[in-house]
Amino acid sequence: MARSSGKDAQALFQSLCTAYAATPTNLKIIDLYVGFAVLTALIQVVYMALVGSFPFNSFLSGVLSCVGTAVLAVCLRIQVNKENKEFKDLAPERAFADFVLCNLVLHLVIMNFLG
Amino acid sequence: MGKLLPVFVALISILPFLCNSFSPESPTDRRVLVLLDDFAIKSSHSLFFKSLKSRGFNLDFKLADDPKIALQRYGQYLYDALILFCPTIERFGGSVDVAAILEFVDSGRDLIIAADANASDLIKEVATECGVDFDEEPGAVVIDHISYAVSDIEGDHTLIASADFIKSDVILGSKKIEAPVLFQGIGHSLNPANSLVLKVLSASPSAYSSNPSSKLSNPPSLTGSAISLVSVVQARNNARILVTGSLTMISDRFFRAGVQKAGSPTKHKKSGNEQFLTELSKWVFHERGHLKALNVTHHKVGEAGEPSMYRINDELEYSVEIYEWSGTNWEAYVADDVQVQFYMMSPYVLKTLSTDKKGLYSTAFKVPDVYGVFQFKVEYQRLGYTSLSLAKQIPVRPYRHNEYERFIPAAFPYYGGAFSMMIGFFIFTFVHLYSK
Repeated sequence: MARSSGKDAQALFQSLCTAYAATPTNLKIIDLYVGFAVLTALIQVVYMALVGSFPFNSFLSGVLSCVGTAVLAVCLRIQVNKENKEFKDLAPERAFADFVLCNLVLHLVIMNFLG
Repeated sequence: MGKLLPVFVALISILPFLCNSFSPESPTDRRVLVLLDDFAIKSSHSLFFKSLKSRGFNLDFKLADDPKIALQRYGQYLYDALILFCPTIERFGGSVDVAAILEFVDSGRDLIIAADANASDLIKEVATECGVDFDEEPGAVVIDHISYAVSDIEGDHTLIASADFIKSDVILGSKKIEAPVLFQGIGHSLNPANSLVLKVLSASPSAYSSNPSSKLSNPPSLTGSAISLVSVVQARNNARILVTGSLTMISDRFFRAGVQKAGSPTKHKKSGNEQFLTELSKWVFHERGHLKALNVTHHKVGEAGEPSMYRINDELEYSVEIYEWSGTNWEAYVADDVQVQFYMMSPYVLKTLSTDKKGLYSTAFKVPDVYGVFQFKVEYQRLGYTSLSLAKQIPVRPYRHNEYERFIPAAFPYYGGAFSMMIGFFIFTFVHLYSK
């Protein structure tokens, strides 16, 4: 039983990798960008756990900038993905323009809250 | 008529300066009323009165039942101190009674009470109101079969010699009293819960209080070192009261007598009575141990003026001047145990003030990291000295929003994270638009 579940997990992982290799390049770039944002958030959370939450507003500002960036990038990926039936009629330029505007607002708020 | 009026006005305006009474600037009493049982006491206690007169006191001798005696007239006190050498008085004359005497003491004036073996209930009542409880049994005196004074007549050991003095240079003077003090009279006890009364001369552990002519049927109530022979009371308004159970210990006869304690070979030529009572009267009449505090100042280190508010973590300096009355003028008080508290519900800072030996006490400390309304408190109570109680209120505020450091070093990773997100976004837009 254990050997078969181990083999199953390996098979699953392999199929995931091959399926992912088939995605278009621009989506992979967005995935990389999201990964970078989440990694930065994790680093800041570990730092806060070690040192304490003294300037709490700065901590929140740093973490929320990462989380907000990740969320906006995920939204862009959804809207730009050609295989997504829901956003078939939305032009990718329009999606990109929304992404840029939202990021501008996000960074304005973050700079204000950073202290 | 026109010429008389300015002369009259000039004379009237000099009158306030002719008053010689005690005041906060000159605390020594001046006018003393002495109430006696009979004028024979004036001559039998002449040495004591002479020492008082030589120090500048105006003594007014009156009989205790004189109908014309009064402590105050039209709301003004006529005397600064009262001496009651009238142990057998049943009722005071004039407007003096127990309530008037207590009001006299409440106004800050001093009192000396001397009782004797045949003390009346009135004198015992005055003493009880002052915190000193005489033995209620009539005819009871202090008897000591071990520490009595050796005399030529085989007495009943009611004349006792005691050397159990209170240890205080302020009350008894800096010179040690070599000879024991002769005492013949009634003893009293003090309530141990009362912090204002002090036993100046206590009886030896072998003393007891009872009537020498009657047989003891049950153990005496007052025994041993609990019996106080001479006590003083310093009231909270700094009035001083001396209570002694023996009028004869102040008499010339005892001042001049030699004394030998039973069981000890040394024979002293002169008893310690004169030195003891002279030094004690100096303390009671505020010639020693009277303190005054002036000029409480505080300011931020580096600034000159007194601010109306401090900020947390400020450095400040506090100073006060304390002087002691020497009988004729104010001299610098020198001590190393005056402390100041920075107090809000409990002392956050307690520091000992350092002195420059000229009366100025100062210290510097940092305001604690708590904001609120604080007080600079100096509570100084020492044996024999008047109590000092100073308090000055000052608010303490937290940092203003622009008094924090601009960039907090602990938050640099968060600054870095936020800026890296911005740069990442910028690079990403180019990559996203111009790839493929």
